[in-house]
Amino acid sequence: MDLLNIEYEKYNLKNGLEVVLFRDSSLPLVASNIWYKVGSANERKGKTGIAHLFEHMMFQGSKNVPKEMHFKYIQEAGGSLNGSTSFDRTNYYEKVPSNFLELILWLESDRMGYFIPALTQEKLDNQISVVRNERLERYDNQPYGLAWELIISNLYQNGHPYSWPTIGFLQDITSYTIEDVTEFFKTYYSPSNACLVIAGDFDNSKTKELIEKYFGNISTDKKVNHLKNYRPYLNENVFLSREDNVQLERIYLTWHSEKAYGEYDAALDILSDILSGSKSSRLYKNLVFEKEVAQDVTAYQFSGKLSGFFTIIATAKPGVKLDLLKEEILKELNKLKSDGVTEKELIKSKNGIKSSFIYSMQNIDSLADQINSYNFFLNEPNSFNFDLKRFEEVENDKLKSTVEKYFSKPFVELQIIPQSGDEIKKANNL
Amino acid sequence: MMLDRETKPLPSDEIKFSLPEIEKFKLENELEVFFINKSKLPIIQLNLIVNAGSVFDANDKKGLSNLYSMTVDEGAGNYSSLELSDEFETLGTHFNVSSSEDHIYFSLQSLKENFERSLELLSMVIISPHLEEKDFLREQRKIITRLLQQQDEPDEIADLVFEYNVFGKSNPYAFPVIGYEDSVENISLEDIKKFHSSFIFPNNSALIVVGDITKDELQKSLNNYFKGWKSKTAVTEISFPQIPNKKNIFLVDKKGSVQSEIRIGHISTKRKDNDYFPKLILNTILGGQFTSRINLNLREKKGYTYGAHSRFNYLKDCANFYITTSVASENTANAVKEIFNELNEIRNGVTPDELEFAKSSLIRKFPSNFETYKQIASNLIGTVIHSLPEDYFNTYIENVSKITIEEVNSAAEKYILPNESIIVIVGSKEILNEQLSEIENVAVTEVDFRGDKVS
Repeated sequence: MDLLNIEYEKYNLKNGLEVVLFRDSSLPLVASNIWYKVGSANERKGKTGIAHLFEHMMFQGSKNVPKEMHFKYIQEAGGSLNGSTSFDRTNYYEKVPSNFLELILWLESDRMGYFIPALTQEKLDNQISVVRNERLERYDNQPYGLAWELIISNLYQNGHPYSWPTIGFLQDITSYTIEDVTEFFKTYYSPSNACLVIAGDFDNSKTKELIEKYFGNISTDKKVNHLKNYRPYLNENVFLSREDNVQLERIYLTWHSEKAYGEYDAALDILSDILSGSKSSRLYKNLVFEKEVAQDVTAYQFSGKLSGFFTIIATAKPGVKLDLLKEEILKELNKLKSDGVTEKELIKSKNGIKSSFIYSMQNIDSLADQINSYNFFLNEPNSFNFDLKRFEEVENDKLKSTVEKYFSKPFVELQIIPQSGDEIKKANNL
Repeated sequence: MMLDRETKPLPSDEIKFSLPEIEKFKLENELEVFFINKSKLPIIQLNLIVNAGSVFDANDKKGLSNLYSMTVDEGAGNYSSLELSDEFETLGTHFNVSSSEDHIYFSLQSLKENFERSLELLSMVIISPHLEEKDFLREQRKIITRLLQQQDEPDEIADLVFEYNVFGKSNPYAFPVIGYEDSVENISLEDIKKFHSSFIFPNNSALIVVGDITKDELQKSLNNYFKGWKSKTAVTEISFPQIPNKKNIFLVDKKGSVQSEIRIGHISTKRKDNDYFPKLILNTILGGQFTSRINLNLREKKGYTYGAHSRFNYLKDCANFYITTSVASENTANAVKEIFNELNEIRNGVTPDELEFAKSSLIRKFPSNFETYKQIASNLIGTVIHSLPEDYFNTYIENVSKITIEEVNSAAEKYILPNESIIVIVGSKEILNEQLSEIENVAVTEVDFRGDKVS
């Protein structure tokens, strides 16, 4: 599709910084999106959460930008900004009116090159506190909020880079020192470990000059620790049952699956849609619509650089046993294995995916992030059509073999059940 | 030339931004249409807004409009519930019905090539929904279970208890859109059918369309598919009595909490009333952005929270002002005190720098509010709901620019009322009791999850 075929320019600065430029002048806006190739997978057990804490520290100012001013300068320009951390990478992004492009290049380059001189104990203490509150708000005080870390720490063997949560464990988060943060920066925040995407309304040659001006003299004197590629395995089914401060029981079934853009990745995405993506999807229709034994059901494929997993989650209606939900879910998977899907189901899924590609082209900032993602995983920023084609090529046989390949293997089963008795245990004791 | 890193770069030439043109027309059945042509991508976004929100729910049937919104798309025209959903999915069209305090929204996002067919399906939902017993009962049971799950969500409980007490029981905005267990159980299929005939008609609705289609094509299609939809006598007016708020802590005991959800605020003046722009600038300085006073203090200075924000929340016929945050249990009283310090402090006035910062931020942000099809549609919805002038967007920048520091400072005194603020805290009573008794001159009332006093 022409619409999904983007024109871009990609090059490297002498210090190794990768740059991708994508012009779209339909609105006077410009987005900057930078991916550092470091995430929680680069951490080790006992030292979790530093990639995410570090992301917070990057907003605390740099040599020429006082604390709070990173945010203030961008908001004063009418821009928006944020960052995020995953297993595989950390990103930082801004969107501003196009005449403020130089401002964001200055800000991004100052923290890439001159972060250390502005680092203080006070800032670190403050952000440790903020991240502690983030953990409480998003996980500890959320119903079912601790399910994920329980699942991944059982799905992946001890020491696997995906076996701990990105936010990190509280005792690790509170342990970090200035030395830890400095060391982390020196190891991972080198220009040669990053890719900068500029997307939107800008002048090509002027922008290249500005990028050279602000990023060109940042030195790369650091070496990056490359990840050991552990092969994830699970020898037998793992059963976990935990109490939480909730009203309804919930079951999580999780299998090892396929890494991002691997041979079966797209088929697994389609499978998740056929299982739970719409009202007439298999599991929704059976469990929620017809039998009314579940309040909700979700299936999805997570795929990262190192590996992927496939999860099915269902919340039981009051009085319904989780074993019944499990039985129904496994029955549907078996049916898929033997009979495959109907032509209608497949078309429906593919059409939905095709439209969502077009809908996703509306925001310049999310486009910039997608371009960075394609570059990270596929080393090719213009991969929209390639990506869509992966889905279009999935046929019934492929789906059947996918179910056969992944769902015959051991899985992790987690049951979350309401706390019993009067004594409410702290969520931390899960 | 040495690179000067110490100086912040200046912006290059001013940008040019032209607003999309809004076209207005009426269908033969009197439905008012607001249309913007946008052809960057082959996408069409459509929202039908019906003046039929939860404020119209009777006392013993709270949750009716919401249950209607869940039932109405369970089968229509020639299609059963699952068939209808399949039709939309096969087109790759996102279709959704939702409800709020003031409105029911029917929304579509579709590709240009599938718009006609999507519109046809939408017209079936609006003109000939099945509204069958078995679908109605299933959706009703879904809501009853959802209400049970609500007890697990501290942020939802905090919102509900705040709305209930800030508006007071005689005001329709006091009640949750989703309703209560007993009131939802009290709703029958007959009520749903009656709701459909009493509220869902063209002259009680407005249609917003943004997308890759010409006005003529759109008008023709709309007249075609909606010709069977007829106007009626308008809905009866309802009243919104308000009582002044009294400073008081409403404590909801949620056992096992490791955090407290906090809401602090009071009723305010409506969107249509004067002073919207001074209030907007004021809130940008106080708590509307990351770098606003409240967040910088509670997060970046004290480290009490992941985030703290304030807003003027404009409903159609009422409004309120509130601050929202969640903090570790042991910092609850400290956070409440800091919030009140900020509320008192802003009444002493803002600085010229703060004013310039807020104006710059709002004015320069303006073009980015018109990026996606959905954003543009939602801007239009705002002008329709609050009956804003036709030149609202054309005069926005000028209206922000001309606000003076005196106007902002007088808005602070008039619209930030710490002594009339109610305080809602959802957390562990066991941990909080001692802390809260240290907050001076405020009584603590323990309330249940609805917001009623625990006797």
